[in-house]
Amino acid sequence: MSDVVLEARDLVVAYGGNLALDLPHLALRPGELVGVVGANGAGKSTLVNALLGWSRGTPRISGSVRLAGEEIGALPTHERVRRGLLLVPEGGPVFGRLTVAENLAAAEAAAGRRGYTEAEVFDLFPRLRERLHHAGAALSGGERQMLAIARSLRLGPRALLLDEPSIGLAPRLVSTVLRTVRRLVDAGLPVLLVEQNVRAAIEVVDRLVLLERGRILAEGPVAAMRDDPRIIEAYLGDTVA
Amino acid sequence: MPAFLLAAAAILGLFLPQWLGGAATSALVVIAIFAIMAYGLDIVLSDLGEVSLAHTVFFATGAYATGLLATRTGFGAWGTLLGAMLAAAVIALLLGLLTLRLREFVFSLVTYAAAVVAAAVAHNWNFLGGSDGIVGIPTFDLSLGPLVLVARNDAELWPYAYAALLLVLWFVARFRRSRLGLVAVMAHLNPRLATMSGVDIARTRLAVFVLSAPVTALAGWLYAYQRAYVGPDLFESYFLVLMLTAVVLVGKRLLPGPLLGMALVLGQEKFLSFGGDVDAIILGLALILVLCFVPGGLVGAIRPLLRRLRPAPTH
Amino acid sequence: MNLVQQLINGLILGHAYALIAIGWTVLLGVARLVNFGHGQMYMIGAFMAWWATAPLGLPYPVAVLVAVAAGALLGLLVQAVMLRLTLEQNLVSIMIVTLGFGHVLRGAASLAFGGTPQVLETPPSLIEFELAGAWITAQDLLIVAAAILVFALLRGVVERGRLGRTARMVAEDPKLAQLAGIDVTRVYLAVFAFEGAAVALAAALVAPRTPILTSIGFEEVIVTFVVVVLGGIGSVAGSYLAGVGLGLFTALFGGFVSPAYTTAASFAVLTAVLVLRPGGLAAGRAVR
Repeated sequence: MSDVVLEARDLVVAYGGNLALDLPHLALRPGELVGVVGANGAGKSTLVNALLGWSRGTPRISGSVRLAGEEIGALPTHERVRRGLLLVPEGGPVFGRLTVAENLAAAEAAAGRRGYTEAEVFDLFPRLRERLHHAGAALSGGERQMLAIARSLRLGPRALLLDEPSIGLAPRLVSTVLRTVRRLVDAGLPVLLVEQNVRAAIEVVDRLVLLERGRILAEGPVAAMRDDPRIIEAYLGDTVA
Repeated sequence: MPAFLLAAAAILGLFLPQWLGGAATSALVVIAIFAIMAYGLDIVLSDLGEVSLAHTVFFATGAYATGLLATRTGFGAWGTLLGAMLAAAVIALLLGLLTLRLREFVFSLVTYAAAVVAAAVAHNWNFLGGSDGIVGIPTFDLSLGPLVLVARNDAELWPYAYAALLLVLWFVARFRRSRLGLVAVMAHLNPRLATMSGVDIARTRLAVFVLSAPVTALAGWLYAYQRAYVGPDLFESYFLVLMLTAVVLVGKRLLPGPLLGMALVLGQEKFLSFGGDVDAIILGLALILVLCFVPGGLVGAIRPLLRRLRPAPTH
Repeated sequence: MNLVQQLINGLILGHAYALIAIGWTVLLGVARLVNFGHGQMYMIGAFMAWWATAPLGLPYPVAVLVAVAAGALLGLLVQAVMLRLTLEQNLVSIMIVTLGFGHVLRGAASLAFGGTPQVLETPPSLIEFELAGAWITAQDLLIVAAAILVFALLRGVVERGRLGRTARMVAEDPKLAQLAGIDVTRVYLAVFAFEGAAVALAAALVAPRTPILTSIGFEEVIVTFVVVVLGGIGSVAGSYLAGVGLGLFTALFGGFVSPAYTTAASFAVLTAVLVLRPGGLAAGRAVR
């Protein structure tokens, strides 16, 4: 399993006595885009947050997380980030009081390792170059999402976790963002993509993980999962737009 | 607990000094008075979720109003009682209106500043007796017509302090079940939801704040008679730390919490004292350690232990 | 005394005020934290400086360093104890804990230093000269110079460059800052250490002006509140201006109205500001 970049085993998250996630195993390989889908509250965000030991609340998290062979499950969030596990949380939050340039520069300062250069980032998201001296708070939803991803790239990711990057974006922007993500993956960066928009996700991901109530319901290559009745019924049927 | 048990316990409390002996009497009186003081702060801190640092002002206001009215205008204890509570309510209203739109630490900062400034004023203003304070407060006298209700010493004051404490306990319990009490908790825990449910948060906060002041002032009223002297030392931060500790020590939003907390703190100071300075360190440390390491208070810390002691249910 | 003398007085006092308040400004601007034990930390700083000079006989500059080191350590200690509350951003408990900490410090100071008022005698306070009819000491000039230096450093170091960016990220969203690889805990510890060091520095420089007692510190707290609120919460440049402004106001009020009620007058200023522009008090503005 030496080619596994990110691997989680027996990852369990509980809020008080309530089990929010119980994940026996999950792996992410180089150049792989894995989609995590499921209904609201299925534990998708809980999963990516737990991989970083990060949360806005105070859950109890246990289990093993390995990044490039190193056990990081006991490390504080910022140490995991410094080792190259990057998370763009839901909503693509950026530092609203810092300019775009500062948002990007701050990331560089925090990283001990070489990340994407500014030029590479602007190549992926040309829009950011135009907004360089605007405050983060002045950006549109799509721009914010781009900035949040760009900031993570500047930190030198070994693996990138994206939590609902398409939420609240116009359909045209959704496909732009997802296509950019695909470009990153094709360049070798493994990405775990949490997506509620299953139709859009299916177009770009390699593998699909279906979560329900904190557990994996189904998992497999996208080609097989596309025909999985549970996916069709829940997400691709006529009832869901 | 059934009502008759509560009533029986309440009546038995009246005889506590006789059982515990003479030395405990003054401790009991002071515990009752300071517990009342703490209950005023309790409804602001526990229910409203705001840290008022001005309750020493309400305490001192109650005492000063009592001292002034009793020595300069010859008011009896009923008159001073009314004066004390009214004066505190007015000051709370002014301070409340001023801080109406302030939240969290800015509110606390202003209340703290108000307390420090009030102390400076009490030290310097001759009308309030300056640094000497007001001496010669007459004997506590609540006599009504032929009914003689006088307290010349701690033993005689106990029934009144105790009755006042029971009254305050009843009041706090009622407050928590009242609409205002429920709305206050709602505004504290979920201001957005409260607003959407039609709650006027600013008015709720003001109402609770103003309501809490006379409770604490009631303690000041009793304390003025108990000590027969009122001075600027009433503004000492000791009283503030004492109140805060009593409220958080045992457990927030627990009716007997502040009373038990106060009994623990004053019990230590009266019977296990290591001298004023060490006692101050103990008091401050108790406050710090509880908030940092047992946020549920002593009850919260003991509960899991009790659960473990209980025999496991058999299946 | 005439107006010019009061103005000179006010300027000196104002720089002292700005210096006393700067720790709080940074604490609030960077970490959205408060410290109600600020006044007692000032008191400890003053006593440490006195203790190092009088009983220990150390030279004054060393005594200043002793006070600053003690202040930084105290700051670290408070933050280390309440770290969980800080990470939860539990401001209500933080306020009460720091207040309790102030109470502990006062008890400890009474134990260690007793109830006698002490005077911190420093060589610069013996050097007097006349300026436009007002007698000022080298100590006064030292206060002004130190205040200007500290504020200039803060503006230069904290507001620009990497350190300032990190601080502003933590101030805005500590959780998100973690995802940018920032060790938020260390930032909080550093900020509290700075707060302690800054107020101790202020004490070591300003305390020679007044007798040192374990009960001092309350006036300094009011001053700090007024400066922080008046200057715009968390604003370094604003605090400097507010400090100097408050110093001038206090000197004029004390000189021409009543010296006993200067604290009350400062509170009146605070009140006026709160009534006139409550909107300007939105907490958590970044250091700017």
